[in-house]
Amino acid sequence: MGYAGLVLLIAVGLGIVLTGLPAAIVLIGAASAGAAFGVVSGAVPFALLSALPGRLVNLLENDLLQALPLYVLMGLLLDRLPVAEALYKTILSILPRGPAAQLVSGMSLGALLGPMNGSVGASALGLSRVVAPRLAAHGVPEPTRAALVAVASTLGVVIPPSLVLILLGDAMLGAHTIAVTATGRSDRVINTQDVFHGALAPAGLFLLLCLAVAWLAGRRLPVAAAAADEKPTTGQVLLAIVSVAFLLVLLGGVALGLFYAVEAAAMGAFILFTGGLVTRRLRGPVLREVLAQAMAMTGALFALLIAATTLTLVLRILGTDKLVADWVTALPGGELATAAIVLGVVGLSAFVLDAFEIIFVIVPIVIPPLLIRVADARWVAVLVLLTLQTSFLLPPFGYALMMVRGTLRYSAPLAALVRALLPFLLAQWLVLATVLLFPQLAHLGEKESDRVRTSPTISREELNRRLDDMLTPIPDFAPPSR
Amino acid sequence: MTSRLIGGLDRLVAAILGAGQWFLLPVVALLFLQWPLRDIVRAWSRDANDLGQWLFALYVAMAFTAATRAHTHLAADALARRYSDGARTWIARLGALLCLLPWASFVMIGGAKLVVSSLGVLEVFPDTYNPGYFVIKLAIWLLSGLILAQIVIDLSRPRGSA
Repeated sequence: MGYAGLVLLIAVGLGIVLTGLPAAIVLIGAASAGAAFGVVSGAVPFALLSALPGRLVNLLENDLLQALPLYVLMGLLLDRLPVAEALYKTILSILPRGPAAQLVSGMSLGALLGPMNGSVGASALGLSRVVAPRLAAHGVPEPTRAALVAVASTLGVVIPPSLVLILLGDAMLGAHTIAVTATGRSDRVINTQDVFHGALAPAGLFLLLCLAVAWLAGRRLPVAAAAADEKPTTGQVLLAIVSVAFLLVLLGGVALGLFYAVEAAAMGAFILFTGGLVTRRLRGPVLREVLAQAMAMTGALFALLIAATTLTLVLRILGTDKLVADWVTALPGGELATAAIVLGVVGLSAFVLDAFEIIFVIVPIVIPPLLIRVADARWVAVLVLLTLQTSFLLPPFGYALMMVRGTLRYSAPLAALVRALLPFLLAQWLVLATVLLFPQLAHLGEKESDRVRTSPTISREELNRRLDDMLTPIPDFAPPSR
Repeated sequence: MTSRLIGGLDRLVAAILGAGQWFLLPVVALLFLQWPLRDIVRAWSRDANDLGQWLFALYVAMAFTAATRAHTHLAADALARRYSDGARTWIARLGALLCLLPWASFVMIGGAKLVVSSLGVLEVFPDTYNPGYFVIKLAIWLLSGLILAQIVIDLSRPRGSA
């Protein structure tokens, strides 16, 4: 029956691409079909499906997920308030004049806004509004504009404390718990904070490379004579300084463990909301519109979570996770080869699934067995994170690309966009390869005590037995034989 | 008669979502207050968390349907945008009928025992004994109920407007 789950996963990919239906509906449809097949064929007792409502309640009471609407609200508020424009103009004012400065400012704005608004969609909207028209005025070609906005909008994925980081941290916690229990290692189970810390150095490296690529791309462009000279007002400079300081406080507070990421998100949303009220930009209909949009965008993300929870329950009941676990634990080669193969699978799924779907559907299936083979959970988390960032940019279905093509009303050929995107993708893959080959990049500043691992020697049979116990969806239930 | 009923249901769902969108503001305020309450006041942090938790549960339970009505669900329509409007309408209706309807019905019926038993004793939060934990379980009925109502509304609309 485990193979039936793999068929469902393929059906999900095809269903999303061919029907154009919301991914959440396709996931729920695949889960329902799988459950019906299992029950009708007699392989799955109907009573097992009664675990679903309980799992949905778990989602509704999950502390970490409370960050989701907070990030969405922050993104919408940033789009309404003049913060982005102030930041952009202030960065521009300290760079030499010309198209290269415009590109570098746009990229820097993505790095500053990304962690604050948490979602790639919100970043793409904000950057499309603030940066893209100015790039056009400075003669930057349409494919370069779209590529820059797309890449800049994904920087929030790797720069903490972003939404993708938080959700991946939660998924990694679950996966690592399974792996540590199955192997009997004495590791401390990884948490969201560890993923934040691990991502800092690779994110910094990627940002530097992106800035360099943007600068080089801009240097090749002619200076547009008609471009307006945009000097920031004193108020804008002050706003930019306060915003950067506030961002550093948020980042520093989370990095030092003074407050949780959810609290940091709440602080950001609260301060921005208060700022909107004080400056009277959030009155009456505007406030109602922001709240309606926040609810609709939160619903889109939460629908994915609900759908993925349903599908993963069905996959577990069908025994697909155990089938995958058997394959991963039997892979030939060492840690590097195993990690590379599993990341390849995650990367392949990125052609049809976006980062959220991958975190909710693919990660819970492939990462627990990977962490049984590979002890370094922090390294694996950072590698998955970088792969997810790539998934936002992969043509033709990368979410950031789709968003940018929509918001900028992109009309040039897709091939031109891919060409403009290629240097950034190469930089991304270079960072990914560097982290893959040098795991210590994910461990900068880590306490020595957290690195100690003692792995008791256990047989593969014993490992599989423990894994079976861990992956059983409901106590006292023996999954169907494959 | 049917169209008036559907219109009434549509207005009811809109009113529920319109009221529910305001829940986000107390959620933001309560989660923002958690840190000063925990580290400065050293009291009521858990209470703020509990209150924020059931408001959050109700909020996200309503948000699914809000996304459906606002067409913000994430979808990859690079291929499907080439289909005719009629074909896309039919696909959307089939999706609601074959995917969402059985699932939401199952959550509504399958969750009855969980919700009713919690509601019957007005279940409290297990760690703090604060009231209101039953609201989180009740939220799965709100979630499935709104989804079912929206399916009825969407399927009752004339073709081409869904």
